[in-house]
Amino acid sequence: MKVRSVKLREAHGAIGGRASFCSVLWDQQANHLVTASSSDIAICIHDPLSPSLSPKILRHHRDGVTALALSPNSTCLASGSIDRSVKLYKFPGGEFERNITRFTLPIRSLAFNKSGSMVAAAGDDEGIKLINTFDGTITRVLKGHKGSVTGLAFDPNGEYLASMDSTGTVILWELQSGKIIHNLKGITPDTGLDISAVNVLCWSPDGETLAVPGLKNDVVMYDRDTAEKLFSLRGDHLQPICFLCWSPNGKYIATSGLDRQVLIWDVDRKQDIDRQKFEERVCCMAWKPTGNALAVVDVMGKYGIWDNVIPSSMKSPSEDIPVKYKSNGVLLFDEEDPENSASGSFSDIGENSNEELEPPSRKRLRKQSLSEENLIEEIELHPKVDSLKKRNRSSKENLDSGNMGFRGTMVTSKAKMQEAFQPGSIPVQPGKRRFLCYNMLGCITSVEHDGYSHIEIDFHDTGSTPRVPSMTDHFGFTMAALSEHGSVFANPCKGEKNMSTLMYRPFSSWANNSEWSMRFEGEEVKVVALGAAWVAAVTSFNYLRIFSESGLQKHVFSLDGPVLTASGFIEKLAVVTHASDCLSSNDQMLEFIVFNIPQGTRLLQGRLPISPGSSLNWFGFSEEGQLCSYDSKGVLRSYTSQFGGRWVPLFSASKEKSNENYWVTGLNASKLFCVVCKKPDHFPQVMPKPVLTPLSLSFPLASSDLGSETHENEFMMNNLHLFEIQRRMEEMASVGLDTTSLDDDAFNLEAAQDKCILRLIASCCNSDKLVRATELVKLLTLEKSMRGAIKLVTALKLPNLAERFSSILEERLLDEAKKAMETNIKENCVAPIKADAHSGIKAPTRSETLNAVTTMSSPKLSSPSFIRKEKTQEGGKAGINRTAMVNESMKGKQTGNETSDKMGKVGDIRQVEQTHPSYDPSTKSSDKNGLNKSDTSLGQSNRPSNPFLKSTIK
Amino acid sequence: MAGQSNHELSLFSAEELEFIAEDEIVDIVPNLKMGPLNFISGDFGPFTPQIVTQVPLWLAIALKKRGKCSIRPPLWMSVEKLSQVLEAERDSQEMSDQLPFHYVEISRLLFDHARDNIPDVYMVRSLIEDIRNVRFHKVETDLEAFNGRTIAVKIKNLSAMEVNIVRPFIGRALQAFYKHDSPELIPDPERVSDRRPQVVNNAPRRQLRR
Repeated sequence: MKVRSVKLREAHGAIGGRASFCSVLWDQQANHLVTASSSDIAICIHDPLSPSLSPKILRHHRDGVTALALSPNSTCLASGSIDRSVKLYKFPGGEFERNITRFTLPIRSLAFNKSGSMVAAAGDDEGIKLINTFDGTITRVLKGHKGSVTGLAFDPNGEYLASMDSTGTVILWELQSGKIIHNLKGITPDTGLDISAVNVLCWSPDGETLAVPGLKNDVVMYDRDTAEKLFSLRGDHLQPICFLCWSPNGKYIATSGLDRQVLIWDVDRKQDIDRQKFEERVCCMAWKPTGNALAVVDVMGKYGIWDNVIPSSMKSPSEDIPVKYKSNGVLLFDEEDPENSASGSFSDIGENSNEELEPPSRKRLRKQSLSEENLIEEIELHPKVDSLKKRNRSSKENLDSGNMGFRGTMVTSKAKMQEAFQPGSIPVQPGKRRFLCYNMLGCITSVEHDGYSHIEIDFHDTGSTPRVPSMTDHFGFTMAALSEHGSVFANPCKGEKNMSTLMYRPFSSWANNSEWSMRFEGEEVKVVALGAAWVAAVTSFNYLRIFSESGLQKHVFSLDGPVLTASGFIEKLAVVTHASDCLSSNDQMLEFIVFNIPQGTRLLQGRLPISPGSSLNWFGFSEEGQLCSYDSKGVLRSYTSQFGGRWVPLFSASKEKSNENYWVTGLNASKLFCVVCKKPDHFPQVMPKPVLTPLSLSFPLASSDLGSETHENEFMMNNLHLFEIQRRMEEMASVGLDTTSLDDDAFNLEAAQDKCILRLIASCCNSDKLVRATELVKLLTLEKSMRGAIKLVTALKLPNLAERFSSILEERLLDEAKKAMETNIKENCVAPIKADAHSGIKAPTRSETLNAVTTMSSPKLSSPSFIRKEKTQEGGKAGINRTAMVNESMKGKQTGNETSDKMGKVGDIRQVEQTHPSYDPSTKSSDKNGLNKSDTSLGQSNRPSNPFLKSTIK
Repeated sequence: MAGQSNHELSLFSAEELEFIAEDEIVDIVPNLKMGPLNFISGDFGPFTPQIVTQVPLWLAIALKKRGKCSIRPPLWMSVEKLSQVLEAERDSQEMSDQLPFHYVEISRLLFDHARDNIPDVYMVRSLIEDIRNVRFHKVETDLEAFNGRTIAVKIKNLSAMEVNIVRPFIGRALQAFYKHDSPELIPDPERVSDRRPQVVNNAPRRQLRR
């Protein structure tokens, strides 16, 4: 290569010929060149076009200027000095603006971020200061370097700051959080105390690569995201590189070494293109932003411009500067291929054509094989880089490669039985605390510290629960379960000497040393569960072992298959086992079995359905003791004894927000409690403490033509709950317990259900689904709500529906009257006196039922009577109902035009009704009531036990 | 100027404003199990450990003092959001409406009582201080447009603290202008121009923080 000489001019006189660090900068338009020296207080702004003119000199610092930086739009110049201040100037005018910060020790490096809103300054001080250029506030101080910071570079994409110190450490900071992302120690030469040779580092203009001087007199390129070494440029530098600089388009790099050479590299081909030997060491360089030139300044303060650095056969360094790089870095490797083959110098057409098919990250690695770098090293490097990148991008991948036996793995592995797991645990993450157990009560966390683990037990409710001291665990427990009274731990066996151990730890006991442990020889604990005063462990031999709270071994028996998980709830233990090997469709075949441990009985057994192709993520009991499961497709199922014992899907994650995963921790009758994780995370981290989110349960209903899914859902949910309550009531009644509390629940639920049905009726009417509305009316339980339904449809102007509803009501009343008659007859026979003795509420009932007896004798007429549910109706309201019912029956009769017959049969109550013979069915019942009230006031005196008495009082 | 008006001149003291701000609703994560609390202002709770509930700030602070909950800082009290707000405030002369009416008081109360629950406390704090300063500055520049013909002042989206400080001053200033504008009351027009700078310079700076 031809050696040309670059003419240097003196800009800053070196004091006593001592080497000092000088800096040089171009402005954006290449109209000005700024130089400074660490042995000179002046900053010179030169005009490169007329170098003979004396430069503009800024003398504001009191000591040598060590660092210069220009804002990207070249309106603001920053300088840092040994006098420990950072000053801002207007540019190109050079007016001093202000001191934006001061340090306690000299400043070594400055950098503007891409928008120019922030300056990073650092030096011999401990921290890197990030200073807002608007107001000079320090937004952040980044601490982590041990030596003086000599190089700072903002990532062009604005995410990171790279910094380097004189001991050879490079740190990548995330600007958003101020956290260290990568700390690369000892990757660059240790320059010690020589302040004239500082380590620098430089981002490629697309931000994909960070160039750093290497230990082998080379330049090493690091990947933006993973900080993995990508490749290095090694060539003719005989001593370490002290400065480097990317060309504006990122194709070339200029390096200057302590051997007084400056080399120009073609980055893509990893070849040096040109070199220049200088008299003194070049300590700073700058590519001209436009054109093909490089400004250099040596340690003696002489600067010069090296024109036509890149041979004319190649692309100019300022050509093809991408306006906006995309983060994938594709642009860096595009379009150069024709250029390469055209230049003919290092043509490798075959190689190029291959490369085009490959993704950019691979491409970069392939290119590496051209360099002098050792091939073996690259092959090792290759997968490493990939895996690291993946880890950064998705933690799910991490699961696959890293851990065994947890959910994430199972989803992807083909036709493999899911491994045993503890509900509410998260997989091992090296160096991080993990949940061994998380339930609605509290959590058990563990973190490994060289050789042993540290286990902490925290209850969510810190007030009423005991504080459990943390413990050191030498066993390496991986399974745990937590209840109010104690915790149980177990570890898998690891080789010969480390047997599987089960340990129980009560939280409060009257005796000392009441924790106990069991060891299993040749057997391995797979799953543990905890209930009221019992501990269960399922082992690799498919044994279910039951221990008492004090450690008594009570039962051992075999299960049907290999265990998947287990859960305890007071006296119930539920175990999930594999029924058979996985189907070829990747469906797990699971079975569950529920025991009552104290009684030693089997309560339930059956298949455990999960979504096709999914695995089980959580299994346990709701707060009410309902058995529930949650699978990896996000479907929650609850066991109900309806239809002989079925699993009802109660929740589906796919109906919720699509960017969230739900990590279930528990549920109650109406809400599912889970930790919301942003995708792709499947589980939360221990820190910060996860917050539970209650989600509503809902059936996966088909979208109906009704358009009121919420009510339909509520309707089904209430039905399910009603069923459960009734079942429980029956159970309790059969045992002979008092069911009044459940009775109240049931009544409240019935009322809620009626309300819901009424809403559904309204929406049915609105969408003209009259048949469905009629069916719904039949499902109402309370007379009051039926009346409400009639009111509703009359208000909606559907008289024929109102008529139909009334006839349904009538029918029902008739039925009830029949029943009531039967019971009444019995009652009358058995205790007529007792019935009479009842005053107030009871009395009208009696008289009404007696009426019923009389009216029943006439087949034509419907009965005006009913039975009163004591629980369901209050006296006053009942009175209103009664009057209304009488009206209904009146209507039936009057249509038959047999008013006279009625008179004789029904008696004095009818008399009252007689006053308005022409009855319009479409009139609201409230109107009727109102009329009746006035009527009854007449009849009141006649009969003290008149049922209408109540309504008048009301 | 306005921000420096005298303590006696403002309608409420800072403590009183804080008291008013304590009615704002915040999210807490309780660590105790407790039934709902029925107050005159409404029912709050029930409280279930680890499940977010909304309570007024005063209750949150009371619970926090007893170690019964952690307060979740409001959404606007994040570094990103505040930086956005700060930028917006700097960009335009209009007051931005992105912060709640009581932002000064709420943030002050949270810094005092729930320091450990706020991520990047220092950053958040300095951002809020910056925002407050920028806004005060804007109010001050707005008020510079005052003259004798001003009959009313309209500034949108002022926060409680700002309004409290500025309102008495504006009232008096307008009154003074009015008085001095009517020639029969004051013949000498020079005093009008004297009056305003005096208020500016002599009044002691009002301390928000101690």
